[in-house]
Amino acid sequence: MRVAMLGWEFPPYNSGGLGVHCYELTRKLANLGVEIDFFMPDTGQCESCSYPNLRIIQVCKTELQPYYHYLKPQKPGARQKIKFNRVTDAAYVYNRMLEDAVSRLHGSRKYDIIHVHDWLTVQGGIGLKHRLGLPLVQTYHSTEYDRTSNPFEYIVGIEKAGLYHSDRVITVSNRTKHRLVAMGCPEYKIRVIYNGVDWEKFAKSPMLSHARQPERQGKQPYFQRKRKIVLFLGRITEQKGPVNFLLAAKRVVEKYPDVLFLIAGTGDLLPTMINLSISLGLSSNVMFLGRISEEDSRRIYAIADLYVMPSMSEPFGITALEAMSSATPIMISKTSGVSEVVRTAIKVDFWDIDAMAGKMISLLKFDTLRKAMSAHGNSEARRLTWDKTAQSTLLVYHELLGFGGQ
Amino acid sequence: MKICMYFQVHQPMRLANFSVFANGARPLLATYFDSDLNRQIMQKVARKCYAPANRLMLELLDKHPDFRVSYSITGVFLEQCREFAPEVFESFRDLYRTGRVELLSETYYHSLSSLFQNKLEFVNQVEMHKDAMSQIGTVGRAFRNTETIFSNEIAFMAQSMGYTSILSEGLPQVLGWRSPNYVYGVAGAGKIKALLRNYQLSDDVGYRFSSKAWNEYPLTASKYASWLSHSTGDVLNIFMDYETFGEHHWEDTGIFEFLRHLPGEAARHRNLEFSTPSIVAAETEAKGDIDVPSAISWADAERDTSAWLGNDMQRECFSLLQSMEAQVKESGDGELLHAWRMLQNSDHLYYLSTKSLSDQDVHNYFSPYESPFEAYINFMNILQDFKGRLDSRMAGSPVPRMHSGN
Repeated sequence: MRVAMLGWEFPPYNSGGLGVHCYELTRKLANLGVEIDFFMPDTGQCESCSYPNLRIIQVCKTELQPYYHYLKPQKPGARQKIKFNRVTDAAYVYNRMLEDAVSRLHGSRKYDIIHVHDWLTVQGGIGLKHRLGLPLVQTYHSTEYDRTSNPFEYIVGIEKAGLYHSDRVITVSNRTKHRLVAMGCPEYKIRVIYNGVDWEKFAKSPMLSHARQPERQGKQPYFQRKRKIVLFLGRITEQKGPVNFLLAAKRVVEKYPDVLFLIAGTGDLLPTMINLSISLGLSSNVMFLGRISEEDSRRIYAIADLYVMPSMSEPFGITALEAMSSATPIMISKTSGVSEVVRTAIKVDFWDIDAMAGKMISLLKFDTLRKAMSAHGNSEARRLTWDKTAQSTLLVYHELLGFGGQ
Repeated sequence: MKICMYFQVHQPMRLANFSVFANGARPLLATYFDSDLNRQIMQKVARKCYAPANRLMLELLDKHPDFRVSYSITGVFLEQCREFAPEVFESFRDLYRTGRVELLSETYYHSLSSLFQNKLEFVNQVEMHKDAMSQIGTVGRAFRNTETIFSNEIAFMAQSMGYTSILSEGLPQVLGWRSPNYVYGVAGAGKIKALLRNYQLSDDVGYRFSSKAWNEYPLTASKYASWLSHSTGDVLNIFMDYETFGEHHWEDTGIFEFLRHLPGEAARHRNLEFSTPSIVAAETEAKGDIDVPSAISWADAERDTSAWLGNDMQRECFSLLQSMEAQVKESGDGELLHAWRMLQNSDHLYYLSTKSLSDQDVHNYFSPYESPFEAYINFMNILQDFKGRLDSRMAGSPVPRMHSGN
């Protein structure tokens, strides 16, 4: 079986779960004997890959930045329009290039399936489906409604077209499935396949545990051992609920002053958040880390006593699994896909600040609870592998090709 | 052969959703216990189970002059029943008045006080239960400990309190090649007789009755009576939750019809005779001793105390509860004492079990919490609040205390 997978990003150029998903999925599918040609933009660097069944094909350079157009304009009006046009134009151009590249290679490679991710590459997928007569699989990592509270109708339109033309739609949670159904996708097309985690990558290594005593190394004086650390890691946008995180932090500090709240990531709400933290009087309890590398994220999961994901809308939330792999207890919003699969988590309503704060305090106070959650959470994360994700994805391919298909 | 049927009647006093931001203005019991929820559940179960089951039992006792049953009713149940379902309370008195219903003894609070270091609290709670039961009738001389927790030591205590029999689980680990269908003595516990549950025959009704996957489905009264009749031994101990009728198995499974026909079907077998624990103990010779150095129970697959004390969170709460005994009793405050004892309900600890994380099971079915971690947060916050009140009360107490420094 040979699959042309049209992607957008791969770590470390990723800006979300999509990249991690593609990276892991392509490798695990290759392990299962599926030949994958992964098409992606030219990042200017050679993407080397030692997997025998996996080829990475860099199509062209592109300006496309999936979250770029959500940056708030300085002045409302014209500028936003320009950015909006730029992103959709860039997507259009990139998709045309994809279409050409795949068609050209199809002559010699003879693909069985086209698999696209999100709206970003679905236009090319639709074109190829009809041009080459191949079945189309589309994975939804999020919808426009999950990324912003001011959805662009143009992008929603592309998403709806994708749902219409795809033969199978894979999505990362039941939550997102319901959203797709509401957008008009027939239920029979949809398969829910949860994301996984490479737990070894995030497992606390003995080396990392030194990060807990940085004062000995004379670095990072903020991470004093006695201070408990609560971590937020994600895009700083409305959908991720950073404001409620700060409001809950305020309530926590009233009762339990010796806590440090780390906020890692960047986004349009970052300036608002910084101002809010100051006006709430939390400047000595909150630290903004900005955008961090994967390596730093591992370090930061390891030193955190609690990971909080208060998202208003979260199709999945791979970071929760990463934190669990690092044996860090997690508190997650009930409106997240990951809350459908994990049991070792404190699940909260993102709008209930008092309940969130109360549970944060309890988690910080009760060592026995944190220990129990670390241990159980870690063994849960080990069971949620990308291999399972790939196996389920392979089943979807088989559904379309018949089980004898090679 | 005697058939000794006993039903456990219990409803826990469920905890309120405690807020760490609570200002302590509300009275103690209203802060800790959710009386609305407890009323709702009591009334629901009364409608589905207690009321119709009691009505049926009364009918059966009326119609079959040889029919006998036993009940063990917890004080916590009795308290809630009298308040929220007085008609059920009355019907238990009617049942007792037939003269063929034996009431068993247990701890008032359905507690694990038998496992406390200091056994005085256990004795107190058994006495309290005896007093409370006098509202319905006089308890016999049979003892059943919370969840049939049993050991040589507990049997010895029951013997010292004047009981002639004690009920527990017919575990193969304890019995070896021997059958539960005989009466046994207990190593080092004097003359008290152990009546051991025939878990096969009990669970046929208690668990398997409505299971369509069971190869004996559907179970009819006549089939069951013939199983009873074909068993060998002196006594068949059929012990189960009373909620089996109408709650664990809903009315439409035919569970009430099964019960309705059971005495009649049993009467067709000459070798069967209904009995109660005190009669069995008086009329049946013990066939040797059993030796149970560490505690067993009827809970979970392990049939030990791990359902309540299996993990660190459970053991921590239990030892905190236990450690407060002297302080609570010294305070001489009736409300504090009552609250402390209500917090000893074994159910609060049962909800903290993490066994269900690996095998989805009955802990979840019974728990009002989303996870054992949520349960721990709530229970521990309440225990700590209680401890705080206790400490501040002692500090403000006019009675000088040795270590107060005054």
